[in-house]
This record gives sequence, C-alpha cells and structure tokens, in this order.
Amino acid sequence: MTALLPARLRPSSSPRRAPRRRRRGVPVAERIALVVVVLIIVIAIIGPWIAPYDPYRVDLAQALQPPSAAHWFGTDVNGRDVLSRVLVGAQVTLSATGIVLLITLVIGVIVGTVAALGGRVVDEVLMRITDIGLALPSIILALGFAVALGPGLQSAVVAIAATWWPGYARLVRSIVRETRHAEFVESAVALGVSRWRLVTKHILPNSLDPMYVQVTLDVAAVMLVISGLSFVGVGAQVPSAEWGAMIASAADNVLNGWWALVFPGLAIAITAIAFNLSGDWLRVRQDPTLRDGGAR
Amino acid sequence: MTALLEISGLRVSYPGVDEPVEVVHGVDLVVPQGRKVALVGESGSGKSVTARSVLQLDPDATIAGSIRLGGQELVGAAPKIVRGIRGSGAGLVFQDPLTSLNPVMRIGWQIMQPLVIRGVSKKEARERGIALLDRLGVVNAAARFDDYPHQFSGGMRQRVVIAIAIIAEPALLIADEPTTALDVQVQAQVLELLHEVADERGMGVLLITHDLAIVAGFADDVVVMRHGEVVESAPVDELFAAPKHPYTRGLLGAIPRLDSDPSVRLTSVADYVDTFETVDDEPAAPAAENGAAR
Amino acid sequence: MSLLAVTEVTKRFAGQHAPAVDSVSFTLERGSALGLVGESGSGKSTTARLVAGLIKPDAGSVVLDGTELVGAPRATLQAARRELQFVFQDPFSSLNPRMRVSELVGEGLLVHGIERDAAKRRDRVVETLESVGLDSSHLDRYPRSFSGGQRQRIAIARAIAVRPRVLICDEPVSSLDVSVQAQVLNLLGDLREKLDLALLFIAHDLAVVRYLCDRVAVMNGGRIVEIGSRDQVYEHPQDAYTRALLDAVPVPDPARERARRSALAASRSVTAPGVNS
Repeated sequence: MTALLPARLRPSSSPRRAPRRRRRGVPVAERIALVVVVLIIVIAIIGPWIAPYDPYRVDLAQALQPPSAAHWFGTDVNGRDVLSRVLVGAQVTLSATGIVLLITLVIGVIVGTVAALGGRVVDEVLMRITDIGLALPSIILALGFAVALGPGLQSAVVAIAATWWPGYARLVRSIVRETRHAEFVESAVALGVSRWRLVTKHILPNSLDPMYVQVTLDVAAVMLVISGLSFVGVGAQVPSAEWGAMIASAADNVLNGWWALVFPGLAIAITAIAFNLSGDWLRVRQDPTLRDGGAR
Repeated sequence: MTALLEISGLRVSYPGVDEPVEVVHGVDLVVPQGRKVALVGESGSGKSVTARSVLQLDPDATIAGSIRLGGQELVGAAPKIVRGIRGSGAGLVFQDPLTSLNPVMRIGWQIMQPLVIRGVSKKEARERGIALLDRLGVVNAAARFDDYPHQFSGGMRQRVVIAIAIIAEPALLIADEPTTALDVQVQAQVLELLHEVADERGMGVLLITHDLAIVAGFADDVVVMRHGEVVESAPVDELFAAPKHPYTRGLLGAIPRLDSDPSVRLTSVADYVDTFETVDDEPAAPAAENGAAR
Repeated sequence: MSLLAVTEVTKRFAGQHAPAVDSVSFTLERGSALGLVGESGSGKSTTARLVAGLIKPDAGSVVLDGTELVGAPRATLQAARRELQFVFQDPFSSLNPRMRVSELVGEGLLVHGIERDAAKRRDRVVETLESVGLDSSHLDRYPRSFSGGQRQRIAIARAIAVRPRVLICDEPVSSLDVSVQAQVLNLLGDLREKLDLALLFIAHDLAVVRYLCDRVAVMNGGRIVEIGSRDQVYEHPQDAYTRALLDAVPVPDPARERARRSALAASRSVTAPGVNS
C-alpha cells in the first residue's frame, strides 16, 4: 500500500514527458463488481421490505424444504425462508461491518495522524501501543473480547473494531509522514496556515486515498470475521439472520439441507469479491492525479 | 556525407479518448554520419516523441512514415531487428539520471549489460566498462565500478548513463534532454564530454533540448519543432545568425544572456507567435520587428 | 534599516559533518532584488528555507522589518509570513492537487484574515490572477489542468495575494522550458516594480539572475564566497568559483562557443597531458 505513495506524491507528469492518454471508463470486471456492490447496498437497505416471508417465523411443518417456486432458496431446519433471511441478513451483516470500519477508520486516522505529527515521544508511545495491537491475532483477541463482553453482535462489533484499528493507525502514520514532506505542505506552512488547517485541508485530504481502498478491501475481511465470530457462537445469536450465524445453524444439517448453508455462504463470497474488485477502481477514481483533464 | 539516420514523413499517434491523437505530423530529419544535430522545441512540440520513435520504445505509439538507420528501415521492421538496433545501432541518454538507472543494481553491472547480452565475455565487458567510465571522467573508475547509483552525484550518474548508451559503440547517440536535470556547471561538463566522445568515435548525435543556448556550442545542424512539425531546419551558424521562422526568433530571444543589456526584457515565443492554448494554428506574424533581444 | 537582515545564520543537518549553511549574512532592502546563486548542495535552498522560517537555524538571526524571527513565538512567525512569501521550484509538487485555483490563491487572504468575505475574497483572487496573466475562467480548475508555466503563475499569485513585502523564489524557473522561463522572469520583474517587492531569488544559473537582480551573492559549500552589485560580480568577479560559474553559462553564439571549446582543449593539453589519450 505504501508503495503506491511515492508515485502519488510525485509530480503527476514530468513537464517534458511525451503525451500519454489514459483510457477513460471502467474495466468490465470492475464495472460488474460496482453494480453488485450497489445492488448489495440497496438490498441491505430495503431487504426487510422485499423479503417474501417473515425471516424469523418458525414453521416446523415447512422445515428443510429444498429450493422451489415458493421458496427460491429453500427453508432451514426451523422452516424459515432462506431467501428472506439472506435478504434481511444483508442489513445485519453489512451494517455491523460498516460500523466496525467506521470506528476503525476514525481511531486509525486520529492515532496515525497524531503519531505522525506529534513529535517523537507521542509517536513512540502510540506506536508501541499499536505494535501490541498488531502482535495479537485479531480473531483470538476478538474472541476474548466477545466472551468478556458477553456474546452478541454488538460485542463482536466492539471486539473487532478494538483489534482492527492498529493496522489503520500504522498505515495512516506512514502515509501522513510522507505527505507531510510534500512540497505543497511546505508551501502551506510558508503561506502561514494554522496547524489545524494544515492537517485537515492539506495533509489528510492527500493522505486518505489509500485508506478508502483499504476500507473497501477490508469490507470483505471484516465481514468474514463477523460471520466467523457468529459462526463460532460469540457474535450474532440465534435467531439472528446474520449470514455467519445462518451458516452456523445450518451446518448441522448440511447433508439434507445444503441450501440453508450454501446461499448465505454465496452471499458472503459475492459481497467479498465485489467489494475487493471495487477497491482498485476506487483508487483510480479518487486520485485526481490519475484522472484526465480538469474540472470543466 | 551519407545519412546515418533519415526520418521522413514521420507520423506518431497515441490512443486517445475516442480516436488516436496524432502528436507528430510528418517530420523530416537527417543526421549525417558523424554529425551532431539538435532537435529543439518546447514541451509538447513532439521532439522527444520523434527521437524516441527511432528506438520504438513506447508500445502505445503508432508510428507511420519512414525511419532509416544506416540504410535499414525501422518502421514496420520485425521486433528482432528493432531490438538489435537498440544499444548497438543507436544508444539513448535519458533526461533524468536518477530514474533511468536501476537503483538496486551496481552501476558496473548496468554498464556491462549491453555488451554481455551481445555475447561479450564478462571479463572483457568489465575491462571495457572501466576504461569507458575512466574516459568519461569518473575518478577511480575501477573502484567505483561496483558502487550503486545512489553513491553517485547527479553529474556522475549522467556519465554512467552515457556509458551505458555508448558502450556497445552505436553509430548514433540520441540524447534526450541530457542536461536538463543538472546544474549549469555540470551541464557544461557533460555537454563537452558528449562532444568529445562523439568526435572520437565518429558517432552521429541527435540532441533533444528546449534550450537553444546549449545548442550553439554543440550542434552542427539544428531542427526546430513546434506542435509536431518542423518549422525550421538549418546549419547552426545560419540559424543563430539569421533565424527565419518567428518561432525560432522567439526561442532565441527567451535566452537570458550574459552579454546583453539586462534591462531589456526577454522576449518569449508568445511575442512572436500566438501560443496560448492554441494547437493547430498557423504561426502569426511577429509582434516585435527586430528579432532576438540583443 | 534593512527590510530583511540575515546575520551569521548557520545550519547543520543531523548526521552531516559540514554545515549545510555556514554563517551566512546578507541584507535585503525594500524593493530590491538579491540573487543567491550556487550549485546543488551549495546551501542556497537551505538558506532560503531558513530565512522563511521553514527550517530552524542552529545559530544566527533573521530580522524582518525590526522583528527577530529566529526563536520567535509561533504567532510572530505566522504574522511575519504575511510579509514574507515563498515560491517553490517545482510547480508540479508545490500546489495542493486537491484545491481549486480559487482556494489556492485565496488561502493566504483567508488564513491571515485579510478578506473574510467570500465574494470580496474572490474579487481579490481574480485581481491577483489577472496580475500574473491568468483570469477568472481559471478559478474553478485544479492544478493538474495547467502547464508548468501556468502552474508557476498560480504559485506566484498564491504568494503575492497577501501583498507581501519580501518574495523568496527558490529556483522558480529551473523546471521550466526556456521560453516559458522568460515569461516567468519578466512577470517577476514586473511584479517587483508594481508591488514594490523585495526579491530573494535563488538560482543555479548566473545568466537568469542577471535579468532580475541588482545584487548577487554566490554560494559554495554553505558559505557566501562573493557578494556584490550586479556590475561588480559579473564584470569583475573576485572569486575563482564565481568565474567558473560564469564560464559555464552557455552563450547562444556558435562562433564564440567554438572559440571557447578550442581554448579549453588547448589549456587542457598543456595542463594535463594524457587525459585525452
């Protein structure tokens, strides 16, 4: 990630380089991924309204029905409609993921920026704390957190956020340290801007691009951890339609009810791939130095 | 005098948003054997693209017309022939010695490469490399042969780049703004060195630059380019004594000189031809009558 | 009293033996222009940054209009920056790529509280842009859509918008084409006259400095080896290094360059036989 930086901070094009044109538009795979991401987000928002059945209504008479016209994704061991649960689960899973990443980003940016700009002692202290965070395997730590806070989706969110931010702090620190030495930052100092404005207007806007990419890429990772924690029983609890929890409860009947496991699994896989592919496209789009022409 | 490099009707285009964008529109240029030709123009004039199309280094570029090096047609030639030309037919010195050297390879290794890939033994390549570096004025060349680029100053790095370009004894040396990144004093040294080495080896040189001042002491002939076309082409004395095209006069008048009255404003190309944001217009009449500032 | 007095300023960077800047002193009078010339590594750019307070000197004093800037509290330094502005070498990296021209040029007016009203600030920005040869149609564009010369005009507009009395230019034309360089040099000369600006102009090329500056200081190895009026330095250079720098300036005259080359060859075959063999 940091390897991207020098190129980004260097002059976008040498004044005497031969003209080069970059093709506009989005490559096909990324285009599909973007559509899928938008679709998933829309589903996460309107899922509860478009679900054909009540995702929580137990009907043992309908248990473990294979996919059919009435139940496209079949029903689970408690007779609940899998399609409805996947649709509603999008909201549960993605909002939990989003909250984790938001907390992570805020803490990471604050800690990373303060460490990068705050002088040697501050940097040293913050980075040692970060090192400790990085040294602990996040899933295990999250597991411990979740157990201490009591099982539930909220504790899973807090637990993952608490273990996820050190990586962001590291990244932000290294980027900000580099941006700080960019000539336009020196130019702002020479102009006489305040420290606050220097950070918020000059340094951070030119440091956060790699963060957006990281966030997009981390959607998949965080989602997998949330689902993983739910799967092992410390995250979302029965009867929640969280995708990981769904897989967990379907695992016992995988031989006579594979659909209850495969569809939420597919939902996780598709979401993860779509967000990952979108990440790279976002990087190109967000970086004005990679785009053509001016604002006209 | 036979032509070493003969470019005629050269057109170069790049893929654009909707359709290819042509940046060089039919350029004719000759570098006779053992002569030094300067290709002069501002950024975006197509001078660099023209010179680089000889070696066909840019896979995005579409080249049409004719480029003959030592009688061999290069446009449309097989990749193998073009590869053979690079290094031994024509060497290239890049503008920025900082980025044109591989930072993780010893400079000696990089200098030896053009020979080694042509089957010269390592031992001989090393000897010739050290001898050449020594000739290029690198003090203690044998000891410094195994240094890395970052251990060299800008001027010394540019000598290394020159060594890489000429070690395989090309008949033509293309120097693309070889001194733009250098201080004035180092620039003078590097140009002098290029001049000497070219004379010693009877190399033809194509010097690409935006600065007519360095051309005066270096080139035999000058070709001035603008907007992808040649606007003037003349022997160096003629061009400096009586520049025909207003654009050339503009370029000459822009040079800050030590021998002119500093209170007289520098002229710029814009005083002679309409430049601002226009691309395909015909050159307008000069705004000022009496040529370059003096 | 001089507008800017730099006295015995010294700076040694960590991990280096020799100081980058070694007790450098000079003064700059109101509306005058001093050229600071030297090769890369001579300490000229570091000197410029020391004067601008971008780097803290180890020793010495920088007095702007009676106010000592070395060791001054932040607020004093901030206030001084309204009077003392800086133009950087590379307009491709010195402009924040995420700010529009209107923000870039208006930033000084905003942060120094000169023009808090957005509409009035915009008027001043347009006025400033026009004084550097740009216009209001450029206001909403980003730096990437401009050429090198235009970007340097934007950087100059950004610096002069707050109406400073001292403008420090760190090799502002060395990354530009000769033809564009001439335009920027002319612009700086015009602005100096119009705004009564004092210029501290850093360059590696003595010919460039000659056009703009009435006094010249030559730096080598962190020290000023020669300082004097333009006529003094160019007509009667005292220091050998100054003469070497003057000799290195290419003359756009083929006959004279040829004469120089043969003189050079002759002198070398006498002093150092065998070098050419």
